[in-house]
Amino acid sequence: MPSSDPLPPKEGALFRKLLKCYEMKQYKNGLKLAKQILSNPKYTEHGETLAMKGLTLNGLGRREEAYKYVRLGLRNDLRSHVCWHVYGLLQRSDKKYDEAIKCYRNALKWEKDNLQILKDLSLLQIQMRDLEGYKETRHHLFTLRPSQHASWIGFAMSYHLLGDHVMANNILETFSQSQTSIEAHDYRHSELLLYQNQILIESAYLQQALDHLLKYETQIVDKLAVRETMGDLYIKLQQHDKAVAIYEALIRRNPENVLYYEQYMLARQVSAPSDIVAVYREFQAQYPRALCPRRLPLNIAQGAEFTTVADEYLRRGLRKGIPPLFVNVRTLHQDSQKAATIESLTLQYFENLTRSGHFSREDADAGLPVEPASALVWTALFLAQHYDYMRDTNRALEYINVAIDHTPTLIELLITKGRIFKHAGDPVEAYVWLDEAQSMDTADRYINSKCAKYMLRANMVTEAEEICAKFTREGVSAMDNLNEMQCMWFQTECAIAFQRMERWGESLKKCHEVDRHFSEIIEDQFDFHTYCMRKMTLRAYVGLLRLEDVLRKHPFYFKAARCAIEVYIHLYDKPLKSEATIEEIDIENLPPSELKKLRSKQRKAKKKAELESAQAQQAQVKREQHQKSKQTANQETDPDAPQLDELIPEKLERTDEPLEKAIDFLKPLQQLAKERIETHLLAFEVYYRKNKLLLMLQSIQRARALDATHPVVHSSIIRFMKALSIARKQQAFNEHVQQVLDKATKELIGSKTPQQLNDEFIAKHHATSILHLYEGARGMYELDPSKKQAAIKFITGFKLDKLRLEDAIKIYTALRDGDVFGECEQEAENYKLACQERFQYARIFRNVEELEAQLLAKEAAKLRAEQEQQMNHLDTNEITFNTSNNVGVKLNWINC
Amino acid sequence: MAEAEHEVEVNGTEAEDDAQEEDIKQKKQTRHDGGAADLERVTDYAEEKEISAANISSAVEQFGNQRSKENELRVAKEKELQKVQVKKEDIELIMNELLVTKAQAEKVLREQSGNVVAALEAIISN
Repeated sequence: MPSSDPLPPKEGALFRKLLKCYEMKQYKNGLKLAKQILSNPKYTEHGETLAMKGLTLNGLGRREEAYKYVRLGLRNDLRSHVCWHVYGLLQRSDKKYDEAIKCYRNALKWEKDNLQILKDLSLLQIQMRDLEGYKETRHHLFTLRPSQHASWIGFAMSYHLLGDHVMANNILETFSQSQTSIEAHDYRHSELLLYQNQILIESAYLQQALDHLLKYETQIVDKLAVRETMGDLYIKLQQHDKAVAIYEALIRRNPENVLYYEQYMLARQVSAPSDIVAVYREFQAQYPRALCPRRLPLNIAQGAEFTTVADEYLRRGLRKGIPPLFVNVRTLHQDSQKAATIESLTLQYFENLTRSGHFSREDADAGLPVEPASALVWTALFLAQHYDYMRDTNRALEYINVAIDHTPTLIELLITKGRIFKHAGDPVEAYVWLDEAQSMDTADRYINSKCAKYMLRANMVTEAEEICAKFTREGVSAMDNLNEMQCMWFQTECAIAFQRMERWGESLKKCHEVDRHFSEIIEDQFDFHTYCMRKMTLRAYVGLLRLEDVLRKHPFYFKAARCAIEVYIHLYDKPLKSEATIEEIDIENLPPSELKKLRSKQRKAKKKAELESAQAQQAQVKREQHQKSKQTANQETDPDAPQLDELIPEKLERTDEPLEKAIDFLKPLQQLAKERIETHLLAFEVYYRKNKLLLMLQSIQRARALDATHPVVHSSIIRFMKALSIARKQQAFNEHVQQVLDKATKELIGSKTPQQLNDEFIAKHHATSILHLYEGARGMYELDPSKKQAAIKFITGFKLDKLRLEDAIKIYTALRDGDVFGECEQEAENYKLACQERFQYARIFRNVEELEAQLLAKEAAKLRAEQEQQMNHLDTNEITFNTSNNVGVKLNWINC
Repeated sequence: MAEAEHEVEVNGTEAEDDAQEEDIKQKKQTRHDGGAADLERVTDYAEEKEISAANISSAVEQFGNQRSKENELRVAKEKELQKVQVKKEDIELIMNELLVTKAQAEKVLREQSGNVVAALEAIISN
């Protein structure tokens, strides 16, 4: 269809040049050309030229002007597909994909067979996962250009993504038959064949898939994929002999692939533990340097056999001094018998190494050469880690101290000591040890990051940032750089630290930043839609699409989202007062002496705030400069990335609709992390506050389906029943809603009353599980607040020595904050004292004064030690040199 | 004529991505001197050589038929759904109680033949 507003030949030529300039990214020239056309008085209003001028301006990063001109152009020529297409491209570059799709559709109204617009449309459809629409567009392209490769591939893929494997395979089959000559080592052809094979496997036509693979084996370049797929198919098709040969070859190729061994066992059809171990023995002999055949039998072996293989494995590791040896066998600890075996073995090593330098008495008696001196250190480290895992803090510390006395310069030891304190509930002491470790090797990024993380656990955000700054780019604040680098573990830990410090706004800021990273990763797939089709890496492409579909399932997202939801719930329960009201209330209610204190506090706070805001301003200026320089630097790559709203903590924490914001974070979890019970328990908390009974019910049902015995499910039911009866009194339900509720509550609790239910629950779990008892007591108070004392007594009366630290902290904070059982300061204080004895390292149960005194004493000791060290400078220097040399080799090992 | 040419050019030029998409080698050659229209023609030519015309026409027809069949099915299904009588107040009830969008509420309600209770339960137990 011709343009509705044609240009004469001279201007027409200029317009074509303008298009070319845009394409070549010669935006400045393009602007000149547009000006030339528009300077002709007859064409000052020419729509398509104005639109192109806008698009060119967008290329220069002048977004607002771009919109102005493109819109103006469109208004002047609403019947031009060029104008609509340009508007679509502009919207797309602004990531407004829905709008862009509408524009393309309008463009296609005026030019329904325009290839380019159709292609652009299909890209957006796949990005937005409008799969039906994608299929439609792809079919259109296919009918228009059946001679192009891409038409076939895209067409087939649209069916594959919709799960119609048969049709997808038919298309690819027809396509490959129509191909006459195939060059040797044609990678793209090879990938296409493998993609077709994947489709056959996914549609469970295994025999067909195998035949296909055998037929085209010679044309496929990716030999490894062929072998692996073929081996798997042989197993599934019960042709075990052939599979055995394939997996033998694969293991020879790479003896460290766990999957190969598993498949090999399937192919050999061995299933008895001792038989499997015997097979691994063969591999050990065959590949003496491989780790897999040594480590894997540990998962399988039982009883005496386990003792034998574990003994070999541990000795080898300790002799060589493999730092992550414990981490490597940690999963075995889930089996308490295996954990006991490992404990007794390593205890025996420790005893004999101290006595004679051998791992066992037998070795000593047989007169074998002694083990290396370092074996003792690694054994002590292993034992410390083992007891730490068992939460036996005292013994863990005992062994780690032995190790540190032996080799004070080994970084692993200090890290482990820190970790022991962390698990024992003292993040500050933990950080001190990590900081020490960090100072011993400031060029090691791993220990640097670990140290930062421990600092964040101790709520030291600024210090953590400073430590990280050693590795971030110079000239930019570390915080900004880490955000830019999408360093999510750091940001999430920051968010959680701020949450602990009740700096809600800053916590939310970090959570939102993490959320934005995920959005960005989803945005980033856009480029792959064209790239992968061109390169024909279709297997990887489909894998990418599937990954992006469930991206927010990632634990990183879960952690940040949980933090955000918790903070928003808190802000709903206890909204922040505006600054002015806080002051008024305080002044009215305070005695003069307190007032004085408050005043000075306020002054300090104000000073601090001023200082901070000044710093923030400086940082802002810096950031802007940085932004600018960045923009000019990579104008070519992405000049028009949309600017997101800046996240301002003060605004975030004073939102008017905290629950809606919480739901924004919750939705992806409900969709993608539905296998985690926490998702539904969080959902319940949100909907409980929104008073949406049906949604509370939904959350409870989902949680129950996952784990009906989970303690929180119980108290959720009780709270739901209470909310139900209150709501019923207030207003009659809609009859349909009533019907649904009646049926569901009947399923939920039968004919029992909530009171009965709660009593039974308590009776059942009374002496066995503190978490259940806690939720039961909660229900008790919820149903009848006059039973407060009894409820508190229930939980504080639970035997402390059966308690884990996390549970004790949960109960103590609930009592202290008074938001579960109402005010109960005295009980909280008593409980704290009791816990102090049970968990002597846990900081939360200790007194502030005691801690401060401790800190002072420590600093004094440090000072003294430094002075002493200076005195003995020469001697110590020599010693450390020797020892560090000793472990130097192993440290290199880690750094690799 | 000038106009027709103009159209082709537009298609080609804005398709800068597409131009890259076709072939790396050509892209290298044409990055500095070529227009996208030329490039598109070149790639078309190369590909046509590989696919024989006889196979294509039958295939195109076959897949076209397959697709129109699918479309018929889908349209029939949609028609079926559209036939269901739904009440506006029911949709609003579902939206309000379960915080879903109007489109979702309407879809589920239609699928449950307009039965509100069934629709509510369907969403809850989903």
